[in-house]
Amino acid sequence: MNIPISVIVILNNLVSRLSRFLNLGAGATWPGELALYAKPDILNDFTSDLRKGVIIVAGTNGKTTTSLMIKKILEDNGERIVHNASGANLLNGIVSACIKSASRTGRIDADWGVFEVDENSLPLLLPFMHGRQVNIVFLNLFRDQLDRYGEVDIIAEKWEKALKIRSPGDGKRGRQCADIQLIANADDPLIVSIAQKSALPTVFFGIDSPSFFLKKAEHATDSAYCPRCGRKLFYQGVYFSHLGVWSCPHCGFARPPVQASRLRSPLPGLYNLYNTRAAGCVGKLVGCTDVSIHRSLAGFTPAFGRQEEFVKDGKKIKLFLSKNPAGFNASLRTVIELKATAVLLVLNDRIPDGRDVSWIWDVDFETVPPGVQAVVSGDRVYDLALRMKYSGMTEYHREPELPRAIESALDRVRPGETLYVLPTYSAMLEVRKILTGKHIL
Amino acid sequence: MNLNIAWLYPDLMSTYGDRGNIIAVTKRAEWRGIDVIVKDISLGTAVRELKSSDLIFMGGAQDRQQKIAGRDFLERKSPIMRDMVERGVPALFVCAAYQAVGRYYKPYQGDRIPGPGIFDLYTEHSGDQAKRLIGNVVAEILPSFWGASATPESDSGHARMTKRTTIVGFENHGGRTYLGPALKPLAKVIKGFGNNGEDGFEGAVYKHAVGSYFHGPLLPKNPLLADWLIQRALETKYGKRIPLPALDDTLEYRAQTAVLNRI
Repeated sequence: MNIPISVIVILNNLVSRLSRFLNLGAGATWPGELALYAKPDILNDFTSDLRKGVIIVAGTNGKTTTSLMIKKILEDNGERIVHNASGANLLNGIVSACIKSASRTGRIDADWGVFEVDENSLPLLLPFMHGRQVNIVFLNLFRDQLDRYGEVDIIAEKWEKALKIRSPGDGKRGRQCADIQLIANADDPLIVSIAQKSALPTVFFGIDSPSFFLKKAEHATDSAYCPRCGRKLFYQGVYFSHLGVWSCPHCGFARPPVQASRLRSPLPGLYNLYNTRAAGCVGKLVGCTDVSIHRSLAGFTPAFGRQEEFVKDGKKIKLFLSKNPAGFNASLRTVIELKATAVLLVLNDRIPDGRDVSWIWDVDFETVPPGVQAVVSGDRVYDLALRMKYSGMTEYHREPELPRAIESALDRVRPGETLYVLPTYSAMLEVRKILTGKHIL
Repeated sequence: MNLNIAWLYPDLMSTYGDRGNIIAVTKRAEWRGIDVIVKDISLGTAVRELKSSDLIFMGGAQDRQQKIAGRDFLERKSPIMRDMVERGVPALFVCAAYQAVGRYYKPYQGDRIPGPGIFDLYTEHSGDQAKRLIGNVVAEILPSFWGASATPESDSGHARMTKRTTIVGFENHGGRTYLGPALKPLAKVIKGFGNNGEDGFEGAVYKHAVGSYFHGPLLPKNPLLADWLIQRALETKYGKRIPLPALDDTLEYRAQTAVLNRI
């Protein structure tokens, strides 16, 4: 089928409008899905329009915040950006973002594409980057929705394979090489192993602050054993989960030195420091100065549901999307540091959340100080309540109805204080809709 | 009274909420005034730590981690575990551990990986194109399970008195497990796949050792299994019948019912 790209773009914008008009959803992925059906290689056309190249952000946690930070840094530097917002991070979401910003003739007028990409979709995306400058940010690999993604090592294997066919000197017919630069987290042993196996040029980011080391390791650890030789890694200190300053006493594999950085995170939480450092590395790679990066990040407003703030009845509400054990532990640690007095925990088990809720037993609810009141809600409210009971928390209340759960949690917060909400993905969308007064579709 | 729980390879074989089983057994024992010590038994741990335990737990693992634990388990830990299981020490083997205590595991590529044969079972992986068995799962514990315990009438927990026999969980496995004649299944599958998705059975029981594909936190929502393990551990340790005071399991069973209502 050879449909001119302009026809596809016009048709799709129509479909997108129609879908919004008929209330079939926000239309974030439909146009892309349709376009991929009509022209499976449509991304080739779009990426070749990008004047400078593509920035891909991959990893279990932090994709949305990091890509938004990169977008802000580049836009403040005068670059034009195509970006897939709101976590539509499969191929169809990326294509949809391109269609949305394409002209009537189907051309994109932009310098960079900044795309966050789902773990499983990275290998599908790379083949469309022929001949382009591609910067790939590898943030981390944590356990996440085993029922959907499989095990962490399987993702790592897929990424290694995907990078291999793109490596210089392996340009088989039909697989033209992209010019790939990696920006990788030095504190995650598995990420370092992927980066080094690829032999691609890599800038490493990380945290060099022993004062942030955890006093006691959390339980949800994925990679405390050497990805190379399989023996136990030595940690000089752990920041969270399996991220830290590590080395292997047996084979010598060790954390590489990281790009010096004094960038501070505009948002609380150590995980946001990683996002900040990653975004800073990208900024420097594309030629931004330290000063301009700093200034951009100082004016950063958080993404959808990621420490997003609302005010209701004179009380602040902050949403901390928490969708897997590492993310949940990081959120929990941050809200405890922020001296939370009340938290609302919402656990759903729909497709975007993962159907399996076993992971809540890997979350360290035992660290919640006495006196913090918790309200639990969501599709799996009883699983969460049970987890509370066995964590020894006495101040927990269950409320299956989400609007009432929000009310109840707010009642436990004094004016001027903040209610912290830790929801899974679909729960975050629901909470947002209730708070913004829009109906749930 | 006290119990020593051996948690095998908590740093390698603890994939998705496996800790829930340790937490459930510990809390339910402590709520009855029984002191609990959980001992982490991993690669470098001396076998005497394992020997002096009253209850064994081993959980799920990724392939790489299981390979790391594999040799240590086969050569050092499993011979001791076999003696303990034979002597009536209760054990819970979940997911990858359930496969690992069998006679062998046949991956879709490569040779059979031998196991210690503590359980008379084998597991085969039917290829990377074969469907993984994933989803919520419900099963009914077989009457033979209560027969397997030395003193079924001494089970005085709330669950037993109300004759609850349903267990719920989540399964996620590529391997298909087949039981030998020396082994009885734990339960009959009502919804889901169980051991192999073919014969309708789930899990296995040998003496006081239980194996299951219900991964991660099997015990919190199935307190009758948690109590059964605690009771068998106390009886084997102290050599007499020790009735367990009933606990208020309203929340546990509401969580279980909530799962039943969703599928």
